[in-house]
Amino acid sequence: MGFFSTILGFCGFGVGISTGLVIGYYLFIYFQPCDVKNPVIRPLAEQDSQSLQRLLHEIPLWVKNPDYDRIDWLNKFLEVMWPFLDKAICKTAKNIANPIIAEQIPKYKIESVEFEELTLGSLPPTFQGMKVFVTEEKELIMEPTLKWAGNPNVTLGIKAFGLKATVQVVDLQIFAQPRITLKPLVPSFPCFAKIVVSLMEKPHVDFGLNVVGADLMSIPGLYRFVQELIKDQVANMYLWPKTLEVEILDPTKAMKRPVGILHVKVLRAMKLRKKDLLGASDPYVKLKITESKAPSKKTAVKHKNLNPEWNEEFSIVVKDPESRALELIVYDWEQVGKHDKMGTNVVPLKELTPDEPKVMTLDLLKNLNQNDAQDDKFRGQLVLELTYKPFKEEDMSKDLDNPLQKAPEETPPGGGVLVVVVHEAQDVEGKHHNNPYVRIIFKGEERKTKQVKKNRDPRWEEEFTFMLEEPPLKEKLHVEVLSTSTRIGLLHPKETLGYVNISLADVVNNKRINEKYHLIDSKNGKIQIELQWRTSS
Amino acid sequence: MGLISGMLMGIVFGIALMAGWQHMMRYRSNKRIAKAVDIKSLSSLNRDDLKKICGENFPEWISFPVFEQVKWLNKQLSKLWPFVADAAEAIIKDSVEPLLEEYRPPGITSMKFSKLSLGTVAPKIEGIRVQSLKKGQITMDIDLRWGGDPSIILAIEAALVASIPIQLKDLKVFTVVRAIFQLAEEIPCISAVVVALLAEPKPRIDYTLKAIGGSLTAIPGLSDMIDDTVTSIITDMLQWPHRIVVPIGGIPVDTSELELKPQGKIKITVLRANNLKNKELIGKSDPYAVVYIRPLFKVKTKVIENNLNPVWNQTFELIAEDKETQSLIIEVFDQDVGQDERLGIAKLPLIELEAGNSKEIELRLLPSLDMLKIKDKKDRGTLTIQVFYRQFNEEEQLAALEEEKRILEERKKLKEAGVIGSTMDALDGAASLVGSGVGMVGTGIGAGVGVVGSGLGAFGSGLSKAGKFMGRTITGQSNASKRSGSSTPVNSVQENGGAKPL
Repeated sequence: MGFFSTILGFCGFGVGISTGLVIGYYLFIYFQPCDVKNPVIRPLAEQDSQSLQRLLHEIPLWVKNPDYDRIDWLNKFLEVMWPFLDKAICKTAKNIANPIIAEQIPKYKIESVEFEELTLGSLPPTFQGMKVFVTEEKELIMEPTLKWAGNPNVTLGIKAFGLKATVQVVDLQIFAQPRITLKPLVPSFPCFAKIVVSLMEKPHVDFGLNVVGADLMSIPGLYRFVQELIKDQVANMYLWPKTLEVEILDPTKAMKRPVGILHVKVLRAMKLRKKDLLGASDPYVKLKITESKAPSKKTAVKHKNLNPEWNEEFSIVVKDPESRALELIVYDWEQVGKHDKMGTNVVPLKELTPDEPKVMTLDLLKNLNQNDAQDDKFRGQLVLELTYKPFKEEDMSKDLDNPLQKAPEETPPGGGVLVVVVHEAQDVEGKHHNNPYVRIIFKGEERKTKQVKKNRDPRWEEEFTFMLEEPPLKEKLHVEVLSTSTRIGLLHPKETLGYVNISLADVVNNKRINEKYHLIDSKNGKIQIELQWRTSS
Repeated sequence: MGLISGMLMGIVFGIALMAGWQHMMRYRSNKRIAKAVDIKSLSSLNRDDLKKICGENFPEWISFPVFEQVKWLNKQLSKLWPFVADAAEAIIKDSVEPLLEEYRPPGITSMKFSKLSLGTVAPKIEGIRVQSLKKGQITMDIDLRWGGDPSIILAIEAALVASIPIQLKDLKVFTVVRAIFQLAEEIPCISAVVVALLAEPKPRIDYTLKAIGGSLTAIPGLSDMIDDTVTSIITDMLQWPHRIVVPIGGIPVDTSELELKPQGKIKITVLRANNLKNKELIGKSDPYAVVYIRPLFKVKTKVIENNLNPVWNQTFELIAEDKETQSLIIEVFDQDVGQDERLGIAKLPLIELEAGNSKEIELRLLPSLDMLKIKDKKDRGTLTIQVFYRQFNEEEQLAALEEEKRILEERKKLKEAGVIGSTMDALDGAASLVGSGVGMVGTGIGAGVGVVGSGLGAFGSGLSKAGKFMGRTITGQSNASKRSGSSTPVNSVQENGGAKPL
């Protein structure tokens, strides 16, 4: 009997609990409002000390840490923009989601799924501080602290088997500390080629998930489980050192790297017009690529000759064959005074077929300005042979992916190539003049950079290579910043603005070192030198 | 018995469970909302808030200037600068050269960059202020300072002289850039950006001019001409209320709202001047007045000879684009064989005018509008004008806009045809725009031609100033302010051929 009543009791409990849950659901949950209200933000000044105490937990980082910058102006910007962003994002989201939903639902025997409500709410994300890092590499690193505690309302209405259910996401909160790296920096707008984003810490995610009005996330234990799941998933994908890369520009183009070599053979000129009063002219040819900063190349001077034969060959590095042209100017050499221009012409590089030699005969013109009244006088002709050799695709992409290139094949085994890149210097000061250039001495071999005129913070960006039989473990590199007067004069001769000796053993071990060195014999001078040790293996 | 008690217990338990859940829901929801509120209220703090939070231990390193500091942005900018400079050079060259062409003074036949590099020093952003002055717009003011070491070489061709390279040295720019973002409800949410330099505080652009391999004195007045060009470009293109509107791709949007449009018409009658200063050695000054709002549209009265109390009684009409910020500028000159000399300048902010009300105003003539640097406090006489301002309705506005475009077009054609030297000097055009006016200035066609012809006329902009090339300051205010900023007109007669380019 006791056994029987226990069974009945259990059954009763079973029935009871389900009835109870239903009653409870209607009593407590069903009538809960589902809409999302805009929270009332009270100004801080009105709040009592207790709520201030609670606030302390969320205090922005820029208040606490001097190395974080305040970016409230950006918050303000975002706040004004937020209603517009909200609408734009929701519209786009709907447009993306609707076709996907339409495609998926027949599989699950669901009649329809649609957004009943989709808004990101009235609260914009806020930045609680910005920290930037300055490194010697060509990159910008910033770490904003982003907190979005929003009041979005995403309500999905699902109809299936004649029943309708709603799923609602509310109170989404995401706190994250992304690191945004812009690299590499390139000389064309927007000045960086890639955006690399990664999270420095696991993000905090919190939200309410109402199914038919009941918040699943409030079931004890479930919330924690879901949160951990999300954190781990995101962390797996984007937690540092894993990154999300967005390419903005094609780096090969953006870097303005050389893409080919132009071989020019200046053969001869014919019937040049006489410029000298006595005797024939002394012609020579100057060649350069238009708008390039590289110095122009010159042929030898053929004295007293109006039909000179040069047969000289030149190779010129080409960066942008689409828009550049080869510019040729024939000059008349003079012992004294200015060299006269005898004629000029250009060859647009896009007219050349790659890898195919082409002999051209050019009429010499007075100048290249089309609008200018051309005088049609015959100035003679110039004969050239041109071959444009573009670099192979593979060579170039290899270059880019790996900043540490391999040494060329002819390097001796065990040896390698030492690459010295002189980037820039800061605060170099001369007593009388400030036209700095850098001299590097390695094993008695001396190399010099170009001179930068009148500058305390010169940039050279020049690369030098030394081929070595064996790793320079005991050697040192002498780097010296010098300045010479631009005027010829013995009053203030060459002066040293500072020097530094860099031991090369570290470079061999590290393969690459890019650092700023303090200059000796200089007040505050610093120089940034990049060293690479390339081996063939 | 067991069944019923079981059921009862079950129901109670079930309800309790639901009640518990509901309690949990409410608790968690409240917690989240409270957090959201906290974070929101911390997103823009001011000094008082922070004082309240921190109490005694207020962090020393925090301050709240009107323009928020952006050290991080400056750090990034200086790192990025060499690349920006590289990328921007070509763009600047392409976009500024046509401007130089349009605004170049009549004395110069061609103005081009022969070298342009922005140097190694990055501009510094002193601060940023974000406001929302109008619904759907964000106004961002950027306090920009640039004391750079750019190397800018202008190739300048003037009549009779081949190209002279002129170097712009020691460029310093202090200005507040205003960017207005027009918001839209479609990604990227910004449909257009309006960029302008704020008029208050005035943009300051300092530079030194230096001729390479020669002397600036080779062309008298050249440096003034360059200054004038630069000032005109700045005041007439960039300085608020003038602006540049950049539509951002993708969103078809009507930006005409953002553009500067003719707002009203000003009828000004230059009545008379009293007690003008005598600048001539023999006889008295021959005064005439030049009136303008934008330097592109100047009008001129007739010359009244030998009179220090001239009565002109001439009426002109000018277009105002922005009553709130623009001013009417009236300059009185003494016509001379050589350089016309300025007797005084007066400024009337349009905001002082009431629409539809005719008003007679007496203005004191000043040596310059930029009184900060002028010591000369001598009385220069007064000028009496009558002003009438009328607001345009929409149709008139459109018509005026069309007319303005047409005139500029026409002048461009004239310039190409070589009739006039520059877009800047055709005062007749401006006068005809508004119907009345006897404007007949301009080097090409005006007073100076008869004497020396346009070629020499080009050189006429003032031997008096030839000596003062260094350290000039242009406050973006007007051509005229600059002119006397660099040289106070104290010299008298000059034996220099040609007329003064305005």
